[in-house]
Amino acid sequence: MSALSFELKGRPEQRLDLSSLVPSRLDGLNRKEIEALSVATTREALTVGDAFKVKGRDVQNLHFVGTDDRCDKIGAKLAGGEIVVDGDVGMLLGAQMKRGKIAVDGSAGVSVGASMSGGEISVRRDVGDQAGGVAFGETFGMKGGFISIGGDAGSLLGERLRRGLIVVGGKAGDYAGGRMVAGTLLLRGGAGRYAGYGNRRGSLIFADKPRHLMPTYVDSGVMEFDYLRLLETWLREQGMRIRLGGRARRLMGDMAVLGKGEMLILE
Amino acid sequence: MPELKVKGVTIVETFAEAFPMVGTRVIITAPTAEWAMISARTMTGFATSVIACGAEGGIERTLSKSETPDGRPGVAVLLFTMDANMLQTQLRNRVGQCVLTSPGSACYAGLKGEKSLKLGSSLRFFGDGWQMSKVIGGRRYWRIPVMGGEFVCEEKTGMTTKAVGGGNLLVVGKSHKAVLAACTRAVKAMAEVPDVITPFPGGIVRSGSKVGSKYAGQIASTNHAYAPGLKWHADSELPPSAEAVLEIVIDGLTADAVHEAMHEGLHAIAKGGAREGITHITAGNYGGNLGPHHFHLKEIVG
Repeated sequence: MSALSFELKGRPEQRLDLSSLVPSRLDGLNRKEIEALSVATTREALTVGDAFKVKGRDVQNLHFVGTDDRCDKIGAKLAGGEIVVDGDVGMLLGAQMKRGKIAVDGSAGVSVGASMSGGEISVRRDVGDQAGGVAFGETFGMKGGFISIGGDAGSLLGERLRRGLIVVGGKAGDYAGGRMVAGTLLLRGGAGRYAGYGNRRGSLIFADKPRHLMPTYVDSGVMEFDYLRLLETWLREQGMRIRLGGRARRLMGDMAVLGKGEMLILE
Repeated sequence: MPELKVKGVTIVETFAEAFPMVGTRVIITAPTAEWAMISARTMTGFATSVIACGAEGGIERTLSKSETPDGRPGVAVLLFTMDANMLQTQLRNRVGQCVLTSPGSACYAGLKGEKSLKLGSSLRFFGDGWQMSKVIGGRRYWRIPVMGGEFVCEEKTGMTTKAVGGGNLLVVGKSHKAVLAACTRAVKAMAEVPDVITPFPGGIVRSGSKVGSKYAGQIASTNHAYAPGLKWHADSELPPSAEAVLEIVIDGLTADAVHEAMHEGLHAIAKGGAREGITHITAGNYGGNLGPHHFHLKEIVG
């Protein structure tokens, strides 16, 4: 069965709420019913059929084509299945998702994977602020799963992160890991100012020594971390060859809060 | 009925009687293969028989860097007991005292069982509040700060209730030297079989036991029917030529694995033929009423 695909007809007049285009919602609907679903976010009515050319049948395998930064909430609350996006996306990509896989071959807006609890999101290019951060009405940020960002990330990456892993290929903005509770950020291209602000138990892994270090992080020196080896092996199994090695400098913080978090700066 | 022989060695028409056990596997890694082995040997030391060791354990095989979760050299260890509570206690004590303490070690789950056993989730308390947990790919690991750096231990490992203990082969020969050589060969052959261990020293038992004793309170005593020095006795099962009998005991995660190990072992013993001084291969049982697993030697040969 071929993937159920949604090809954007043109730049929409309004932002689109695409949270209904997930397998659990589409299952059992015929083409007409799918095309009749509303994606409007203003008083102007807009349906899937108005905005997209719909093809294919497999609801477990969704394909978005030609999307742009107005396409919000793709894969929000996803509970299984796979979504492939050929284009850019708007905000709240995969927010609060539980399971499944989302791959975006472009850039994403704010709040990618906000408060997600499981599953996997990969964005080939840049993401906006608060990736892995807190979704509306939630207390914590990402609570599990994996986000991989090929390009740069905005500020407040992994805000209030509680569990899970975010890998950033490029540079992260200010306040990376701000107020994070636990979980892991792997920052390959460094971060802006105030990284690890208010970090309680989380880990920030830097490929290189960050330019700005908060004064509330204290140095514990260099040592061996089998944990890094575990992570490297797992990443390789996911098809990501990132050399972490086993040695790193450990800084503990944020001492302004609990102080059981860490920065691991690879040697 | 014609006597079954392999290369002149008589295969006695009997069966090994084995028992259900619970078992688990853990993977120990270390900076070098040598240190992984030291850790694994220590953990499986004094684990020959549940009669008095609490558990039966052994090294299943060594693991290359590409086979372990952290990319370091490792060893797979199997541990068996008669019930889940005992297995939990033994696992915690042995990993806690022998793996945690071993330089550079880490300990991971080695089995996806129908039930799980606590591993790091009880050892983490050694961290006295400084322990940290990390979830990677859905598996939780504990990082415990120790003097040597950091001890990483997976939270849980799997347990199987389908394990089998007490598969065995008894090797009868004309000289101790011949029997020892044949058994050593057999243990090596069995080591290649996955999911099994031979828990006794070097895989071999020289003092097979029977249940009970003439002494009150002694739960097991020498299997006098197979002691060559007591061949005069009416109970003796040995031919007049027998000078030594050694036993190989096999524990496995499944009955099939024990069957396969016995098959490999039996043929390795008989490899030198009767010329090398092995006269009989037999097996220990209790009449068939105690253990539900009966490994008949005539089926094992095939």
